[in-house]
Amino acid sequence: MVARLSGIQKQVLSFYRSVIRTARAKDTDLRDQILRHARQELDKRRGIEKRNVLLIEHYLRKGKKQLEVLQDSSVQGIGTFTRSG
Amino acid sequence: MALRSLAGSIAKSVVQTMGVSGPSALGAGRLRLGQAALFGLRGYADAALTKDEVTARVLEVVKNMEKVDPAKVNEESCDFTKDLGLDSLDTVEVVMAFEEEFQLEIPDDEADKIASCQQAIEYIAQHPMAK
Repeated sequence: MVARLSGIQKQVLSFYRSVIRTARAKDTDLRDQILRHARQELDKRRGIEKRNVLLIEHYLRKGKKQLEVLQDSSVQGIGTFTRSG
Repeated sequence: MALRSLAGSIAKSVVQTMGVSGPSALGAGRLRLGQAALFGLRGYADAALTKDEVTARVLEVVKNMEKVDPAKVNEESCDFTKDLGLDSLDTVEVVMAFEEEFQLEIPDDEADKIASCQQAIEYIAQHPMAK
């Protein structure tokens, strides 16, 4: 049987699904960019402790805001700034 | 006889509401109805995927996932986490790939329950919209 998912886990997975749905509506290049970016960001936060719900919710809200921007059909591409050194 | 005239009057009123007249238009209307019935049947036939077909396509989708070792995929032991070493995010990706392959939308609470090929096959095989 499936490992029982907590409420917050379900929310994150549901959010990831809506990201993938949004990506599907875009052209191939942008779709791949979105999928790669989403997965990267999620993987970055893999280490967050399960019980740290506040922090997870914080990132979830951040992600949802980004997703809203992406859902706009005028988005051409996405990029991120990384700190060097 | 009475039935036929009833049918005739219905056909006439249908033609009138469609804003066309004359016997040829009536014929065209009939043709259209016939085609609709045909497509209806076809849709039904498409919907009835055989379990073997679903199984083959599900396994194919799973094998094509980036993180999956195709050699490990077989019908009997195909738990996404235990047998294939996928995490919950990978599982989301797999289930979304099923959605694309079978042209359906799996709601969140159903998608959360799919954790192996067998569960996916069962769900898709009984899904009326799966293509």
